[in-house]
Amino acid sequence: MDHPKDRSRLSRRQFVRLAAGSAVGLGAAGALAGCENTTTPIGAGGGGPAGAAAELVVGKPTGPGGLPLPRPDNAVTWAITDTNEPIADGRPAERGPLRVYNYADYIDPALLKRFEKQYSTSVQVATYNSADEAIAKLASGAVAFDVIIGLSGSNIVDLIAQRLLQPLNHSYLSNLAKNVWPELQDPFYDRGSRYTVPYVVWLDGIGWRNDKVKEDIAGMPVPWDIFWHAQAYRGQVGILDDKRDALSMPMQRDAMRTGVRPDLNTEDAAVISHAERELAQLGAICNPKVTITDYQTLPEGKTVLHHSWSGDLLSAAFYYLPKGVKADVLSFWGPQQNGVVQNDFLCIGRAAKSPVLAHAFVDYVLDEKNAYSNFVDFTGYTPPQKAIDAEALIRRGLIPKSLTEAVVRPDQFAANQELLQLSVTGERLWDDAWSKFKAG
Amino acid sequence: MHSRWTWRILSLPGVAWLSIFFLVAFYAVLSVAFGNQDTLSLPVPFWNPLDWNVGYVLDALRNFWHGGPFLIVFARTIKFVVIAMVLSIALGYPVAYFAARHAGRWKGLVLVALIVPFWINYLMRMLAWINLLAPDGLGTKVLHHLGIERAFLWLGLLAEPGGWLNGQPTTVILALLYGYIPFLILPLFAALDRIDQRQIEAARDLGASPLGAFLRVTLPLSVPGILAGTVLVALPMFGDYYTADLVSASTQTNMIGNQIDEFMRQGSEKVTGAVLTMLLALLLLVLMFYYLRSTRQAGAEASTA
Repeated sequence: MDHPKDRSRLSRRQFVRLAAGSAVGLGAAGALAGCENTTTPIGAGGGGPAGAAAELVVGKPTGPGGLPLPRPDNAVTWAITDTNEPIADGRPAERGPLRVYNYADYIDPALLKRFEKQYSTSVQVATYNSADEAIAKLASGAVAFDVIIGLSGSNIVDLIAQRLLQPLNHSYLSNLAKNVWPELQDPFYDRGSRYTVPYVVWLDGIGWRNDKVKEDIAGMPVPWDIFWHAQAYRGQVGILDDKRDALSMPMQRDAMRTGVRPDLNTEDAAVISHAERELAQLGAICNPKVTITDYQTLPEGKTVLHHSWSGDLLSAAFYYLPKGVKADVLSFWGPQQNGVVQNDFLCIGRAAKSPVLAHAFVDYVLDEKNAYSNFVDFTGYTPPQKAIDAEALIRRGLIPKSLTEAVVRPDQFAANQELLQLSVTGERLWDDAWSKFKAG
Repeated sequence: MHSRWTWRILSLPGVAWLSIFFLVAFYAVLSVAFGNQDTLSLPVPFWNPLDWNVGYVLDALRNFWHGGPFLIVFARTIKFVVIAMVLSIALGYPVAYFAARHAGRWKGLVLVALIVPFWINYLMRMLAWINLLAPDGLGTKVLHHLGIERAFLWLGLLAEPGGWLNGQPTTVILALLYGYIPFLILPLFAALDRIDQRQIEAARDLGASPLGAFLRVTLPLSVPGILAGTVLVALPMFGDYYTADLVSASTQTNMIGNQIDEFMRQGSEKVTGAVLTMLLALLLLVLMFYYLRSTRQAGAEASTA
């Protein structure tokens, strides 16, 4: 690509070192996707048109090593290679310990305790703060994790390219077919769920204090407009501190106004910088905080209007309400379509020391009761399970009616868009726009 | 001879420690800043200076030159730090002076009181302020009843009543001031405490007024202390990012540390993060040299005076 950073010419020696530095023989990356001997090649990964015919097609952006970037219209099957095969059927679980790598506070400790008891093992959880940190540590090979929780479609190509995951053996995962939404049984980013199964899903929406904000946000033609009319709540407004979530918010707003479906994984510089300019307008309108602490600041009343992940509003209602504040002062609105949904995975590490126990753990988390208790007793993030139903949660008094939309439904998941991994060039466009926005 | 070698050997672990954790680490930052990125956007350091790639550094400098975001953030950082520093001196000098000159038998107690804040972690103190300055917080109420809030509103230093945490530059500067002022007072106290009382008495005997003695004797003799304190306060303030993050989190108050944090923590531009780290370090190095030169001059003047 014609980026200023590539202009400095590399010597041959540097080039060799650079290639070696990337730790994986990306030359062979083509073998990881699409054309694999046991399945039909799917997507653009393996073979596009060659030779003179290539000029007849507009190329799609690709990931590291030329790997395809999965999109709903470009489903990808990741290959199972000879050197990285799933474990054999019917093996007994190892003694452990089970090493889990996860975001902090992203799985119910009681759930882990019960697993330890059931399998007479111990579970050791190590935590990371960002997906980048997790991938860098996994790639360094310093620690062999059995189960990795919390990475998503925005990392899948890196995970595959760096060969950090081992393929799953579905004979150990009976709960996948039994309990998980059909929409996520065979996802476009990992056809056949060969390397990943879904852990929890969520929606980007608006969280607010209905006792402090007078507007009927959910009733507005374009609810996102509230941020651009939030002069009255100046300083008590929040925007998610994540470049993809935050910059796609004005894109969604534009889409709702014009009725044109947005591409929230766009690599169009003009679209991205337009979104940045619109988001930057908020500085003068309501001077928003850029944080992800809404689960705390909304119940405490330090913010009254927040760009929020659906799960945070539920955990706010479950845990963070100060004395005397009722859960029904919290409201959430999420888009029915053209918004952001996301999906975090459960994966098994390539270098897992206890792969059978790891499979048992993944199946354990996918169990209906376990997924439910992890949701309502701890994370607040919806597991994509057939049995979860917002109405039932309201009837049982677990969540107020004002937070119904914070429970993600399968149809809503399908009609919204996942934020997925971009090409290196595309990623840089978002990064540049974001650093510009953050400079204020 | 014997004792010189003893001290050399004893200093070895410290020197090795500093070399590894400062020089080597800083060289690693340089190697990343003058390096490149691989296809996974991970930084690839170029260890050999002959291979160094100036592309990223030039990019960042161009960003400054064209008044891009880096310039905005750097300018804001300098503004915040300079204001906080001036306030630190204005508030800290009298305290140090009082402790050194007039505390008498309470000197020990005053010193302890100055050190006490160090017992509590910086982060904890900032977190405490978040609750104190919340709209219904105790601090907010006190400031309101004392009329201080009204004064700040009138001066345009606060946007709305009770809005101390609403992304206000004022709050960030005051938080920096609060967090770092003990680092200024202590060296200043030491400098003032060392001044020979007889020199001041001599000035008075020769007819200087109290103010004259202060301006012509005490103040010049305490300049090394002011400089040392200023450096001790300015260096960490320049690199600070959590203060702005905790008490504001608005893009309007982000400092250069926030920008570096953003680049390093996530995204595809870790090399740019290293470039900014390097540029910030260069700025601090210039300040450091100025400090060393000034103290040498001040020392020379004091000894000839």
